[in-house]
Amino acid sequence: MNDAGAAPGAALAELTLQISATLARLRSAAGVTVGCSLKERVWSCGKTTLYRYAPLAPPAGSPPVLICFALVNRPYVLDLQPDRSLVRRLLEAGLDVYLIDWGDPEESDRHLDLEDYLERHLGGCVGHVRAQCGGTPLDLLGVCQGGVLSLCYTALHPQAVGRLITLTTPVDFHTSGNLLSKWVRGIDTALLERCGNVPGELLNGLFLALMPLRLTQQKYVRLLTSQPDQRALEDFVRMEKWIFDSPPQNAAALAQFVRWFYQENRLVRDTLTIGGRRVRLADIRQPLLNLYASEDHIVPASASSALGEHVGSRDYTGCAIATGHIGMYVSRAAGGEVPGRIISWLAERS
Amino acid sequence: MQNPGSGSTFKPEEAYAAAAGRFFEMMKTFGMSGATTDWKSLAAPLASQFERWLQMSQASPWFKAAAGDTPGGFGPASAAGGFFGALPLGPAAVQGAQMPRALELLGRLAQLQGQLAGHWSQIAATAAQRFIARLGSAAAPPATPQQALQLYELWVNCAEEAYAATVHREDFSRLQAELANTSAALLAEQRQQAEALVRSFGLPTRNEVDALHAQLQELRRVLAGLGTAPRAPAPQPAPGATPPAKRGRKRAAGRRGAPAGRKRARGPRR
Repeated sequence: MNDAGAAPGAALAELTLQISATLARLRSAAGVTVGCSLKERVWSCGKTTLYRYAPLAPPAGSPPVLICFALVNRPYVLDLQPDRSLVRRLLEAGLDVYLIDWGDPEESDRHLDLEDYLERHLGGCVGHVRAQCGGTPLDLLGVCQGGVLSLCYTALHPQAVGRLITLTTPVDFHTSGNLLSKWVRGIDTALLERCGNVPGELLNGLFLALMPLRLTQQKYVRLLTSQPDQRALEDFVRMEKWIFDSPPQNAAALAQFVRWFYQENRLVRDTLTIGGRRVRLADIRQPLLNLYASEDHIVPASASSALGEHVGSRDYTGCAIATGHIGMYVSRAAGGEVPGRIISWLAERS
Repeated sequence: MQNPGSGSTFKPEEAYAAAAGRFFEMMKTFGMSGATTDWKSLAAPLASQFERWLQMSQASPWFKAAAGDTPGGFGPASAAGGFFGALPLGPAAVQGAQMPRALELLGRLAQLQGQLAGHWSQIAATAAQRFIARLGSAAAPPATPQQALQLYELWVNCAEEAYAATVHREDFSRLQAELANTSAALLAEQRQQAEALVRSFGLPTRNEVDALHAQLQELRRVLAGLGTAPRAPAPQPAPGATPPAKRGRKRAAGRRGAPAGRKRARGPRR
């Protein structure tokens, strides 16, 4: 591996220079902004805000698409920058795109539970969007944990949703490779709830601990030798900002989510009840597109692909994309494939 | 390892500088400075370095919190430090209380920390052995940054494999859950003491505020369910937004009203 004749210490000196140079460039990229498409706030409920994006193309004539993101992360990752924006690709296809931002819950919100989120917040957003389009069913796009909420909502309110798309959405929480599920299975959720809202940093720490060297060290070291150009460095910094920008979680809703889904796996066991009503995946009969990442370390592909076995839809399409969890939203490959599949799937059913 | 921050305060350049510094030190260990490398002799120092990193990155929030370094409980130190190490706990959480229950929990926590340290040690030793075995005795020290990275990638693969082999195990998962539950119990103790203190000053306690909040929420639900009654203030069109059509409002009101009879009244949660 050694170069014959290399001066002792010369390689270390070169490494030192590269470390310094990359550090200087990272500092110069620190001011990057996130989010790129024009949007308008159109409705709100508590900390939840519904946005509508400005059109970028003539209308395709499809029902509006409502994006329901996870509670545990910020939704701007779907519109991070022009060349890495699922939202933008949908807009360019002439779709009318709405996005839910759950905001930052405060301690006074800690009793908000999943029923509140489903019925008042998500339900309120759906009601507003449908009111704008004459009451016709909308297309719901649920992402990660937001996909779980979307499945529940669709099962409870089938008349409101025309077509359903799920992205990196866990359904069977007890598949063998699900490390996150193994770790939280023994958590005392009643105790967790008593401790109040959970800071975003804590959940982020959980996600990073799944593969600590890769997720907190290796990616930085790779910057040293890959020598990315300034634009690539700015992309990197945007992602870093998003990864470490996690909102706090309402105590009640998080405790319910952990207990009902991660611990008791109620969705696939068909034992979920929300607000006194049974939530049955078999009641979802809408056309359903389920996209998941084959290398997902947070939501294993097996956790997502299980959806096809449980829904009542006769028009179910499951598709694995060769990338990781976050790559589904922002990688260049997925940036073309994911929106492309969504757009063509919708067009085929118009 | 301490994460440089999180959320809006997170500074990628600081995280990079810390990671690059560790990489640099590792390359020195690997003989990049020109010294001849006896790879087999590196297993012990490599394992030691990794074990220290695991202890700091995955467990340091326990010790930090125990030392009172996480004001208000959850601190940024937890950002890359593992979920289970991030809960507020420790002497700072029960300062001045000297309650037997809190001391009992602290003792239990120390025991669990010891068990966790045993796992880190095992992971680090396995990772180092795996790395040396895969490297082979013929490997030369890295002469360029690119070669250094190749070596580093091999190390990361070995380390992550060793880590995964342990953390997927049931005993490890149980231990992590118990660490989290014990720290949460400590926080609950802390809150209980704070409640007593607040009550002694004649101030409203969190439980009392919770009870009022629950009553308010219930009243809002009941009012929304009455239909003609004043609307609950929560769902409002944003300023400047187009108001929803009447049909949409009726639907929304119907949805809000529906859970009123089903949802149980919430008392204070302790």
